[in-house]
Amino acid sequence: MPAVTETYSLGVPAQISRIDQELKKLWQEGEGAMTRASLMNLAVYSEEPGSLNSNTQLMAKITENHACRAIVIEADCRAKENSVDAWISAHCHVSHVGSKQVCSEQISFLLKGGCTTLLPNIVFSHLDSDLPFYLWWQEEFREPMDPQLWAWVDRVIYDSHGWKDFRAQMRLVKSAEQEAKQRIVFCDLNWTRLDNVRFALAQFFDHPASHHHFTKFRKLRIDFAPGFRSTAVLLAGWLAAQLNWRAENAKSPQELRFIDPSGRKIDIEFRERDGEPIHEVALTTAEVEFLVTYAKCGDLLEVSRAKPGEKPMPQLMPAGKNDPVSLMSEELMRGGPHHVYLRAVNCVRDLL
Amino acid sequence: MHRAADQPEPNPLREGLSTRAVPQPCAIVIFGATGDLTHRKLIPALYNLAADGELPAGAAIVGFARRNKSDDEFRRDLEEATRKFSRQPVRDEIWKTFAQSIFYHRSEFDDESGYKSLAKRLDEIDKNYGTRGNRLFYFAAAPDQFEPILKHLKAAGLNETCEGSWARIIVEKPFGTDLASARELNRIIRNSFTEEQTYRIDHFLGKETAQNILVLRFANAIFAPLWNTHYVDHVQITAAETLGVGTRAGFYERAGALRDMVQNHLLQLLCLVAMEPPTDLAADSIRDEKVKVVRSLRRWSRNEIAANVVRGQYTAGAIHGEPVVGYRQEQNVNPDSQTETFVALRLFIDNWRWADVPVYMRVGKRLPKSETDISIHFKKAPAVLFNKDLSDLNVLVIRIQPDEGISLRIHAKVPGTSFRIEPVKMDFHYGTSFGKPSPEAYERLLLDAMSGDATLFARSDEVEEAWAFIDPIEEAWHANDAAELFFYPAGSWGPEAADDLLARDGRAWRRL
Repeated sequence: MPAVTETYSLGVPAQISRIDQELKKLWQEGEGAMTRASLMNLAVYSEEPGSLNSNTQLMAKITENHACRAIVIEADCRAKENSVDAWISAHCHVSHVGSKQVCSEQISFLLKGGCTTLLPNIVFSHLDSDLPFYLWWQEEFREPMDPQLWAWVDRVIYDSHGWKDFRAQMRLVKSAEQEAKQRIVFCDLNWTRLDNVRFALAQFFDHPASHHHFTKFRKLRIDFAPGFRSTAVLLAGWLAAQLNWRAENAKSPQELRFIDPSGRKIDIEFRERDGEPIHEVALTTAEVEFLVTYAKCGDLLEVSRAKPGEKPMPQLMPAGKNDPVSLMSEELMRGGPHHVYLRAVNCVRDLL
Repeated sequence: MHRAADQPEPNPLREGLSTRAVPQPCAIVIFGATGDLTHRKLIPALYNLAADGELPAGAAIVGFARRNKSDDEFRRDLEEATRKFSRQPVRDEIWKTFAQSIFYHRSEFDDESGYKSLAKRLDEIDKNYGTRGNRLFYFAAAPDQFEPILKHLKAAGLNETCEGSWARIIVEKPFGTDLASARELNRIIRNSFTEEQTYRIDHFLGKETAQNILVLRFANAIFAPLWNTHYVDHVQITAAETLGVGTRAGFYERAGALRDMVQNHLLQLLCLVAMEPPTDLAADSIRDEKVKVVRSLRRWSRNEIAANVVRGQYTAGAIHGEPVVGYRQEQNVNPDSQTETFVALRLFIDNWRWADVPVYMRVGKRLPKSETDISIHFKKAPAVLFNKDLSDLNVLVIRIQPDEGISLRIHAKVPGTSFRIEPVKMDFHYGTSFGKPSPEAYERLLLDAMSGDATLFARSDEVEEAWAFIDPIEEAWHANDAAELFFYPAGSWGPEAADDLLARDGRAWRRL
């Protein structure tokens, strides 16, 4: 096992040209040779000062469940001098079995000044061969989108929750994908944030006898926390896409209306209130209310369906967490393409 | 894995959320609800499914047993057991909602009225808990109770369902004690439930690595051309355990290692290793291919059995430095017992792919370590280039338990000016690549049964073919000229005769 155990530090400084040799040395210094079965290259890019340390801590947590080569990049585009500093480190965790370890290696870069243009060059030369490349982009995208970079990316992970202009951002990513002639999987952590709520809503309709409700919905209410309107709109977009609803002009930012294939109107109400990003969702027909709400204990969802005058029998389901580590772990675990996401986005693109 | 014929249309809101068939709301009725299996495995598995959000919202559990108990007493017993045996810690709030849907139904297994009242109770549960008329009957009772249970389920109309709902049974092994009893059991089952409604559970198949055998073989093109008689020298399957007979002496004395392990678990693993690629991943497509493997196993004459099967029994010895008694000194074991606690077999699969490739199997109690694995030993490379006979074959090992993973032994040049070649082992551990713990086998299998996916369950013809292979061995052992029982000290790798089985072919058991 490597001598370097989990320290949450950037590790040992390394010359760019000697990173591979230094990594090899790092593992050899351990108590014995080992084979690490890595799943991916996972790079995180940020321009936030101090992100190198904060993202190193995130990576240390993420690698508990996902063995990878982690590449952490902090870029300071406004710096006057040009420089590149690099460090190498290892993240090792005792696995659930107790004795084995999940081990990942991390290369950290601090890029200053014009060096940011070397980003593709630096990243590409330090990818672990034959493994997919996931790029977690923590900034807003901006032009020009470098096709050379995007041609290497298999999955681009971002969080649209913080985007100021959703349409412009999506246009940029899609154009980069086209220029790079690469089929990139778009992974929006704002979408991942909805996984458990979507799961809780979906399970109401697993039995075919409940499918008749699909044509009877009248109202959808989504309670969201301040700053999470886009998450709520995405959730509405998902229902619309999967149930073939089309949007009518929004009545107000808080109200929206969809039309189902039979012409029935479904009113959507967005309510901002303190709590979890999506605190409560109520989907109602004339007879039944399907309710998903956060349980008092916080990390569980209470799901219930009730007819008027009937006492609901709530069940508990996992709610998931909203922190970046949990969202990334969930996203990396899921894999696969995100067709449903893109359909949901298309349904509500103008509202995001 | 595919949907069963009685699986409904997909839910559009599930798209992209789940890559597996979705479990349907149902009432799970457990016969033998006060027993060990229910407390140690079934309820902890169902609780874990609930905690992971995998259990459908409309799910209820009805324990059916003879002892007097109230719902609350039953829930308390189960809570205590789940806190002890669950994979993840029990959370009070989850247990509370989970336990609301647990009920106890007291009845003798052969009391018709108990089933009529069960039917009524299930109808009420349908109304109140949204189980939608779906029933999953789990047979965790002793096998001699199966017949009355099945008969009364039928008499109470519980084997039939209204349109859009289903009734299924899960049967625990042993599926009979020989071919005749297995056929009889299948006949009894068929009197009440169809084959499509019947799920015969073999928990080995619920293990992650067992399922991964199909992925390893059919999702990796590099292995496909090598997986045959042209490149494989032989195959070894080992299921070793340090434990003795423990509290199972009553059953084990009648069964022995051959019936307890080889007839089901080991032959199932062999099928996964040796089967042809199925046409698709539908349950029957896979099971069609598996049954062909068992059907192709070479049958032996009585003399050939003596030469190809070794039976052993442990004597006093030590495990991990601690002295342990011999099998005959174990509690409830006949002091003159002839029951085997160890079996080694040399098998051949007489088909095009595996012609003349021996498969060596061994299973035993009180061996030095607990480990189950399959190893594929490839043929030697021609020894013309390196002036050396490369006696260590390339070996691909699939570890089933406890440290799930895969390793490959290859030859490499030792650094230096001389041309020294040594074997090196490349090792992949699930635990070091995927931090997430695997679900328990019972979790996966219960979910599959609720989803109507029978892929990981044994079909009647598989069971019968397995017994048709095992029976002649048992008969030869128990004939007048009974096969010799070889003794081995606890903590050893079995009797020397087992080593001789391979030594005769110029081979040896893999070092574990």
